[in-house]
Amino acid sequence: MAFAPPDILYLLHQIVFGALAAAGFGVLFNFGLRSLLWCAAAGALALGVRTLGQDVHWSLEAASFVAAVVTSCVSTMLRRPLGPRGNAVALAGCIPMVPGAFFGQALLGMLAVTTPHPENAALILTSTEYFLRVFFTLAAIGAGLAIPAHLFRNPDF
Amino acid sequence: MTALRMARILTECGARVKVVHEGASLVVRGLGVEPVGIRTGYASQEITVRSGDNTITRMMSMGPHGVNHRLDHAMRALAVQVSQGGMSAEAVEHEIDRLVKETPRHPLWLVALAVGLACAAFGRLLGIDWLAFGPVFVGGGLGQAARMLLLRRGVNSYVVATVIGFVASALAGFGSHFLDSGTVNLSMMAAILLLVPGVPITNAQTDIMDGYPSMGSARAVSVMMVMIFATTGVLIAEWFLGMH
Repeated sequence: MAFAPPDILYLLHQIVFGALAAAGFGVLFNFGLRSLLWCAAAGALALGVRTLGQDVHWSLEAASFVAAVVTSCVSTMLRRPLGPRGNAVALAGCIPMVPGAFFGQALLGMLAVTTPHPENAALILTSTEYFLRVFFTLAAIGAGLAIPAHLFRNPDF
Repeated sequence: MTALRMARILTECGARVKVVHEGASLVVRGLGVEPVGIRTGYASQEITVRSGDNTITRMMSMGPHGVNHRLDHAMRALAVQVSQGGMSAEAVEHEIDRLVKETPRHPLWLVALAVGLACAAFGRLLGIDWLAFGPVFVGGGLGQAARMLLLRRGVNSYVVATVIGFVASALAGFGSHFLDSGTVNLSMMAAILLLVPGVPITNAQTDIMDGYPSMGSARAVSVMMVMIFATTGVLIAEWFLGMH
């Protein structure tokens, strides 16, 4: 397979909006102002890695898993400045990867299937595909965050 | 009861069950007794402690589950401080009261602004066009403000999910349609992403991995319920905007 260089503008776009989404949700989760910067950095890292993974034709699930692993590992390595916040910052960084829109579309699709005259069988297939993607992507993010946290235990409480 | 209160606040702040149990155990030991067992459920918690030949079991009901990072970490720091000894139960209770009262929270306007921006940024990641960016920002921001006001009034959180799902997606959908965006459906979905319980989703998995499947399952079911209620709001908004 020929290697194609990543589209830098698209990569930057994903990094910037990943950082914004993570920091925005960090405010909702009541992170302090300094921690919000770490949330933004974690979001940028997670989305950057996921985008690069998808660029080399990994599935969304695989790319999300690797992005979560990398984010969790980096937050563990930055134990000194982050302290016990490391896991929470890594989690906030991975929030922009949660496939909430797929989840909603899957549920809407399932509702459409239950109407008296569903449009076609493709609807069932699409909804099922969305559900499976949601399930496996969430599992990938959760496992990606948890595995490094368990392997490199943070002694801070 | 002091350790149980610590456990309750940690759970309400969105901590994993393992962290909750560690926090409660630190407080129990710091107060000079030994923990025998702690059970954390979605709606209540129990703790049994021992001092010499005496054991005592206490139970406490849980408040609404949320995410509050600063209070969570203030409580953890207090648990570590208590574990070092020298604090009475009354002093710990007093400190818990102080932390609950004084730990800062971002003002409503800032949270609404940040969540609106987060939804719009999330939308860009999903592929909404620039015309839909503003409507998603407005829908998400106003949706978050309304959500906080409704929750403060004690409205059921699932009902809130439907109401906010409707308000946020209708605003985003109407605005995107008005501005001639090519991604009206996606913008409606992006505006309700503030309702997606991202922290409970990952906590559900981690709790199961840590050996607490009942709490993990309860969290997963509550996530599913929130999504069903939020999607119902989107469906009503689609009917309202004549998209069916």
